[in-house]
Amino acid sequence: MTTPIIQINNLQKRFGEYQALQGLSLAVHQGEILALLGPNGAGKTTTINCLLGFLQPDAGEITIAGVNPQLDVVTARQHLAYIPEQVALYPRLTGLENLAYFSKVASIDKTDDEFRTLLAEVKLPSHAVDKPVATYSKGMRQKVGIAIALAKQAKALILDEPTSGLDPSASHEFSQLIQSLAKQGVAILMATHDLYRAQEDAHRVAIINQGQLVDTLLFEQLKEVQLESVYLKHIKVGA
Amino acid sequence: MLQSTFKKEWLDTKRQGQALWLSGIAVLLLLLACVTGFKSHQSYQQAVNEVSQSEQLRWLNQGEKGPHSAAHYGIYVVKPTTPLAALDDGLQAYQGNVLRLEAHIRNDSLFRSAQDNVPLSRFGSLSPAFVLQVLLPLLIILIGYPLLAREREQGTLKQLLAAGASPAKLFFAKCAVLFTLPCLFLLPVALFLLYSQTASEAPYTLRSALFLLSYLIYLLLWALITTTLSSLFPTARRALITLLTIWAFATLLLPKLAMNLATTLHPQGSGQAFQAKLESEVYTDARLDAIEKFKQQTLAQYGVSQVADLPFDYAGAQLQFGEQYADKIFDRLFKARLEQLEAQSQSYQLAGLLTPFIAVQTLSMATAATDFSHQQSFENAAEQHRRLMQEVLNFNQRDHGHKAQGHYTAGKELWQQIPEFSYQYPRFTHYLPHYAISLISLAFWLIVLVLLSLFAIKKLRLEEQR
Repeated sequence: MTTPIIQINNLQKRFGEYQALQGLSLAVHQGEILALLGPNGAGKTTTINCLLGFLQPDAGEITIAGVNPQLDVVTARQHLAYIPEQVALYPRLTGLENLAYFSKVASIDKTDDEFRTLLAEVKLPSHAVDKPVATYSKGMRQKVGIAIALAKQAKALILDEPTSGLDPSASHEFSQLIQSLAKQGVAILMATHDLYRAQEDAHRVAIINQGQLVDTLLFEQLKEVQLESVYLKHIKVGA
Repeated sequence: MLQSTFKKEWLDTKRQGQALWLSGIAVLLLLLACVTGFKSHQSYQQAVNEVSQSEQLRWLNQGEKGPHSAAHYGIYVVKPTTPLAALDDGLQAYQGNVLRLEAHIRNDSLFRSAQDNVPLSRFGSLSPAFVLQVLLPLLIILIGYPLLAREREQGTLKQLLAAGASPAKLFFAKCAVLFTLPCLFLLPVALFLLYSQTASEAPYTLRSALFLLSYLIYLLLWALITTTLSSLFPTARRALITLLTIWAFATLLLPKLAMNLATTLHPQGSGQAFQAKLESEVYTDARLDAIEKFKQQTLAQYGVSQVADLPFDYAGAQLQFGEQYADKIFDRLFKARLEQLEAQSQSYQLAGLLTPFIAVQTLSMATAATDFSHQQSFENAAEQHRRLMQEVLNFNQRDHGHKAQGHYTAGKELWQQIPEFSYQYPRFTHYLPHYAISLISLAFWLIVLVLLSLFAIKKLRLEEQR
């Protein structure tokens, strides 16, 4: 097994009386897609915010490609790409302009032609490239988000509910894109409620509840079990 | 980061349109104010030249008369102006710009144009300084309030930071974009100052440099506070409301309160009351006694018993004695009034620690030579000229009056002995200590806002915890 790109050890985070994470440990390796499943409030978003350096954990350690975001958040973020449920883009700028701006603030210098190639790679329709993002569908915005990750040549990609609200066709297209990124060696952590997508795309599924890892299923096991029943069993036990 | 942020903000602003309209209106207002200020400065400068020349001619061509009659005939001198007065006319309209120099009395300045205006015209006065001090900060707020707060609302801030943007670089790039706006506005002002350097007889390099520098710092402060609050507040709306409240306090309410407080702490009577006091303190029995004593001393000095036996015209000597006697009283009373006004000015300047508006307003008027201190310099110089005039005329009467058969009169030769009044303001370094509080206030605000910016950047690093 290779060295994990994303490594989380014994992560703890408390918000007042509420213990959001209770010793969570996870690892995502190069080229691996790890689906992080859990009910609302299980600690998925808290974990992501700790990974992005937006939250300081109370205890435990995180490394992104060997860099601890608590110690050097800017370098850690340089190795990361993040796609939230709603990819936030500037509505008055075009897809190309958004991609260029997000890349340049991350110190990635590419020509407009190179950015166009990236947008073509993520299958953003060519007629949309120079149109304001305000006219884009959610799927198209997700594609721009992936193009940003591609431009950055991130070692790790963090997805927060990426397929929520996408139609089946857009969801399938999105799935193909992240599979392709994984093949290029990107470690992908995908927090989701979409059990179907998790079963289809992930190499491993981690189920968390009440801030703790309750089960991990490998790709091979995923083909043999009904993920939904396993998931519900763990959630009920947790409740 | 800076270049890409400039490009992004420019595209966003251009497509939104609202900011362009606002800037366009502000540019028009500034240009209008500059043109009005320049025209007004030009016509004032022309009037100064014309009045000075015509007064000198009137003085020289007054004909044959007694020197003391000439002293009462008097002369008017006009306060000169600097090119910067076109940008900030300061207190010019309220202080008077013409002084009558005559025997026995130190007059206050005349022709306060504000007295000729109807009260409502004050609301309509639009000087470049008003645009720079009041309207430009408002424009900075209206354009800058959403810079980071809107990014937070639409989620792009988190995404930018997650993309690896340095919070400090992002903050300063936004601030730099915002600060470009006032810099663009100051460009025509700088060009005007550069042009006036070449066109003007006296160089105003230090004044112009300080004028521009104080506005640059002042507008940078507004760019910093706007970016900081936009960064600290969770929504653009809250940032806007807070910034507008600060603007109203800083530029409208606090200066008014500070001025009222300064005049309450150091009250000052009216000009008419002061002139009445001058006369009542000069024309007393003590003066008559002093004149009598002077007469007796003079008679004793020359060993004669009556003034007619003196080897000079006693009337001239007594007139000069009377002038010197009054001058001492003038000096005492004017010094007391000056100290009171100085205390008012210092109290007002001290309020610059509450709002940088007061600091920049003070420095702007100071560099433009349209404030109280420069008025005092002019009035002091004019008074020295009046005293010289009286001395020349009185001594002429003293030395020649007794030789005349009948009433002694003098002519153009004597009038020419009095040099033409030509006043130039001292170098600005001469005044610098007087404005120390305002300079310190600007530096203080800069430090405060840089620290506040650093705090905002620190909060940006932990964006999600907000």
